Amino acid sequence: MDGWQGGVSPFRVSYGKLFMWFFLVSDALTFGGLLCAYGFMRHKYPDAWPIPGDVFTHFPFMEKHIPLAYVGLMTFILIMSSVTMVLAVEAGHRNNKKGVTIWLLLTIIGGLMFVGSQAWEWYHFIVGTAHGAVREVWSAEAGKFVKETFHGANLIHNEYGPPAFGDFFFFITGFHGFHVFSGVLINITIFIMVVNCMMEKRGHYEMVEKVGLYWHFVDLVWVFVFTFFYLL
Amino acid sequence: MSEFHDNYPEYEMMAHHGEDEGKVMRKKLWRVFWIMLGITLMELLVGFKAESWGLLDNHRASTFGLKVFFIFFTVAKAAFIVLSFMHLGHEKKSLKWVILGPYCAFIVYLACMGSIGEGGYSKDHRADMDPNVVQQASEHKRPGGGAHHEAEEGSEKSSEQNNSGAESGTK
Repeated sequence: MDGWQGGVSPFRVSYGKLFMWFFLVSDALTFGGLLCAYGFMRHKYPDAWPIPGDVFTHFPFMEKHIPLAYVGLMTFILIMSSVTMVLAVEAGHRNNKKGVTIWLLLTIIGGLMFVGSQAWEWYHFIVGTAHGAVREVWSAEAGKFVKETFHGANLIHNEYGPPAFGDFFFFITGFHGFHVFSGVLINITIFIMVVNCMMEKRGHYEMVEKVGLYWHFVDLVWVFVFTFFYLL
Repeated sequence: MSEFHDNYPEYEMMAHHGEDEGKVMRKKLWRVFWIMLGITLMELLVGFKAESWGLLDNHRASTFGLKVFFIFFTVAKAAFIVLSFMHLGHEKKSLKWVILGPYCAFIVYLACMGSIGEGGYSKDHRADMDPNVVQQASEHKRPGGGAHHEAEEGSEKSSEQNNSGAESGTK
């Protein structure tokens, strides 16, 4: 093929889609930086760092401790919602409004389930276990650090390991969770537009494709968070 | 939309296809889903069994082989998502390079940093680790079963010191 002569998109995609890709490239570097920092700290303090399999052992309605099962379920929910999203995009390519509506709605439900699961996991991480661990906690009454049993986690202490472990957990999963949350809001916006026939008037469903890119990206990031935070 | 387009082709319509094509496409997408689900379940099983299969160093960190195993399948899943779900596999070659090129460089950079750069340095200087952090960790040796962290008497550390210990790693 000859070189680009101007007058058409050099990449054969629309302006909006191209810039969604560029946004995702930069956003992925942010997550890359966070996960690298996490990996570095884990590598630097192999003995101090807790094993995620020991920390994330809860599962709803189960008394028994099942390591990682809940995170596995969350991964399944997100991959599933990624599939429903790609099916919505495919229905859009056939100008099938009913198909887009159904699949997009299922994607929104999947996203809400994921955000809810993450809230549940945060709750258990913050509340902690019954036995806790001894930490030197600042006491305003005594005006000094006092040793006491600390349960759960906040940004300063956590019972699981070094403070940085809790901070990384809150920041990485929080940053990802916020992406999912905003993704759900964007999906709802597009869903309303689809239901109101706005895409039908335009003659194409490219908006669904663009938010689909964002949604798959959120899934993509979770694949990496799942490996680097929970598995390794 | 014509006012935005001048004489440009309508890229938004280019991906449109008929019912028959759609059927083939959906079949492919579902296949990708089953592959990804299979990989995730396998990873979970290995993560679950890693300790009993002796794949953890010192009962804490994954062995090098296990890390390579997890990272390989993670990148495989990422490739499925990007190339199939995000449709990048069917875009123009130049667009593929614009998106994936920076990450190829990033991965090479990370591999160098991890093996001969900062990673190697921090591994050699683990002995200089803040003693408080190490002590804190030794309290957390698992008693076995589900309960993981037991409080112990006689720990002498302050959270401030721990913080500085953690920060020294990022120098």
